[in-house]
Amino acid sequence: MELAVEMLNISKFYPGVVANDDVSLAVAKGEILGLIGENGAGKSTMMNILYGMSKPDLGLIKVHGEEVKIDSPNTAIKLGIGMVHQHFMLMPNLTVLQNIILGKAPVKNGLIDVKAAKSKIQEIMDTYNLPVNLDERIYQLSVGEKQRVEIIKSLYRGANILIMDEPTAVLTPTETDKLLEVMRQLKNQGCAIIFITHKLREVMAITDQIVVMRKGVVTGSLATTEANTELLSNYMVGREVDLKIPGEVYRPGCAILEVDNVSALNQRGLPALHGVSLEVREGEVVGIAGVEGNGQTELIEAVSGMIRPTGGQVKFHGKDVTDEPVRSRREAGMSHIPEDRLGTGTAKNCSIRDNLILNRYYQRPYSKHSIMDNKKLMDLADDLCRDFQVKTPDSARALSTLSGGNMQKVVFAREMEADPSLLIAAQPTRGVDIGAIESIHRKIIEARDKRKGVLLVSAELDEILSLADRILVMYEGEIMAEFKRGEADERKIAEYMTGAKRQGGDENE
Amino acid sequence: MNKLMHKRIADALNITVRQVCLILVSLVLASIFLGVSGYEPLAIVKGIINGLSSDIAGTVRWAAPLILAGLAICVTYKAEVFNLGVDGQLYMGAAAGTAVALVLPEGLNKAVSLVIVFLAAMIAGALFAMIPALLKVYLDTNEVVSTLLLNFIAVLFIEYLVNGPMMDRTAGTNLNASEVLPENTWLPRISFFEPSSANIGFYIAVVVMIVIAFLFYKTTLGHEIKMVGSNPVLARYAGMKPKKTILQVMAISGAIAGMIGAIEVTAVQHRLLTGFNPDFGFDGIVVSLLANNNPIGVVFSGIFFGSLKNGGINMERLTDVPSAVTEIVMAIIIVTISAKFVLPRLKARAAKVKKGGE
Repeated sequence: MELAVEMLNISKFYPGVVANDDVSLAVAKGEILGLIGENGAGKSTMMNILYGMSKPDLGLIKVHGEEVKIDSPNTAIKLGIGMVHQHFMLMPNLTVLQNIILGKAPVKNGLIDVKAAKSKIQEIMDTYNLPVNLDERIYQLSVGEKQRVEIIKSLYRGANILIMDEPTAVLTPTETDKLLEVMRQLKNQGCAIIFITHKLREVMAITDQIVVMRKGVVTGSLATTEANTELLSNYMVGREVDLKIPGEVYRPGCAILEVDNVSALNQRGLPALHGVSLEVREGEVVGIAGVEGNGQTELIEAVSGMIRPTGGQVKFHGKDVTDEPVRSRREAGMSHIPEDRLGTGTAKNCSIRDNLILNRYYQRPYSKHSIMDNKKLMDLADDLCRDFQVKTPDSARALSTLSGGNMQKVVFAREMEADPSLLIAAQPTRGVDIGAIESIHRKIIEARDKRKGVLLVSAELDEILSLADRILVMYEGEIMAEFKRGEADERKIAEYMTGAKRQGGDENE
Repeated sequence: MNKLMHKRIADALNITVRQVCLILVSLVLASIFLGVSGYEPLAIVKGIINGLSSDIAGTVRWAAPLILAGLAICVTYKAEVFNLGVDGQLYMGAAAGTAVALVLPEGLNKAVSLVIVFLAAMIAGALFAMIPALLKVYLDTNEVVSTLLLNFIAVLFIEYLVNGPMMDRTAGTNLNASEVLPENTWLPRISFFEPSSANIGFYIAVVVMIVIAFLFYKTTLGHEIKMVGSNPVLARYAGMKPKKTILQVMAISGAIAGMIGAIEVTAVQHRLLTGFNPDFGFDGIVVSLLANNNPIGVVFSGIFFGSLKNGGINMERLTDVPSAVTEIVMAIIIVTISAKFVLPRLKARAAKVKKGGE
């Protein structure tokens, strides 16, 4: 079979990071290549290189057997490469037709030849079974329809090599099925497709070849017929479990947090959490494993009070707090280490002190009748900096002068100082160095041994495995499985977190 | 003294030096502009020097409303809210103050009457500021647009008042103004500066500055304003109520604006009339900007702009240089201050281009 694209020995270096290290992949005409891996594995970098959005530092690219230099998306389009981005590149106020012909309209007598454009697009829509109303405006379309417009746009530009960057991430299950059907259609017409995803079920269903990436290198390259989800999970996650911090014997007490059948919407207003129930008891760490974006954020925000659930109940120390504001939950003993340290957890232009006093600035003895005692607050901040080893000469300095690990220490110091009975920790070790990871892990185990409850959400499976007494696996806003410590290994969990399996349910779905 | 204070003083000195340099650059540019246009190049500098020495009364008169306008802006700016409606709120304050002053009993004690008049003006200003604030909080309306547009409504409303319900019918002619206020509601002028209209509004402005500085640095609301302005998501996550904070700062800002209206009416004009406000609200933006949104700095930059305004008026009276030149100086100052934001970016881009070319 003729190869449509070959990317050979591609390497891409960013300052301090190797995004791609000697990565090769190839896709033939009429073939679908699945490119899978965890977040940050280097999939998107590879595709950005192919689409001319960034340049490889080493390696070469061949299109239809000829070596090419792709320096911009324009060149890529000329070579017949089209990309369907995860975030749509469409003008919401223009019609479907205008969006498709944008920049490549057929012209007759100096005017846009709408008729010719329409008939050409109609032909594409008929061939690939992609029906869209051309006169509707983009903002009126559903997500699935917008995606179809993106695909038509690429085909209209003469693409026969399609890159699809996590196209199913934004789709409902029915829309996903329709999309897979379209992909089959495209494949039969001789298109080559590179399909980026981390959902193993879809990869197994539609692809011919699979390339698995992890931390910038290819860990597996095989034909779909030779693959199974267990093998792919293994390639995706790969590592051996180590790093064990000894804690006391597991003796869970009474329930601190009870989440009962909670549903919630994500920021786009789509359902992201479907009736999740869980419980966190005294003296235990409950770990939520799962690929990011499967409802963990919404779960944490519903528990901490940042969003109101659309259904269900959150109970804290036996009291219904579903409609309570954030502050009363915090005062009742809930602390929260947010997943987005810079966006949610800190104000980087404010001083370290300002960031440390957020739980206390309005409380006695730090403040009386709304007037703050700056001396006491400063002592508090200085004490916290010392106790939590925040490396700074002066807590009056801006938070932005700290490294990521030290910023996380500031967040930890603030949240632990409140002496919480429940600690919610989301991605607590993201982007921090090894030393800081260890001290953060120790603090979590310490909190557990002090009979506090910990709800730990992490994309790092080994973190979950080494810290959690119970592990819940989330996929698409639902809990797929629950394990006690030692009951499951990474491979087993990975199967559930990619939706390949579900406990007690239809195992083959 | 503690290290926090040390840092604050060091920062303040740094900023002061930088801003003074900016002023000097602007004045040089303005002088060049004057010279090129065929006027006396040093007219503007002379005007300012006069305004700060022999003619300080005029400076004091103009500094009061400018300082207050600067404070009204800097309160909201700290919370990353932009109140371009100070002018409208000021007019509403003036109208309410006048209305109340005209119905107060004649024999009422002066201090009591003034307090009532000022309260009325502040409440009116704050209420008028609540319109864009509520629109922003509940309907996510951009306050830059809504505050700006409400200014026109306020101006036309004043015109309606002084041509209708509040028109001075005793004057006989078609004077577009209200009746003259009774003397017990006149804000005292500073006798030292007689016969200028310099008035104790300047002291009021300084007191308001102290209140605002206290609010910023010593109260929990000040901390909330700072956090909401720096990172509203963090504020919400920490259990603050950003929406409430935004309403609070807009109310404070509107009240200060209302106070300017009251001062202008009770101390300078002694009646409500159209167009008494030479865009104090917009000047307030420049005042606050030059002071780096620091309330203490606002007093100094208010005095500077007061002398500039006063100098400009005198310049027009004594020479043939139009007073519009003061506006040009303001514009130049805005441009030079903006350079602070633009220059680092240009540098970064230049560095990037250089690196990319290698």
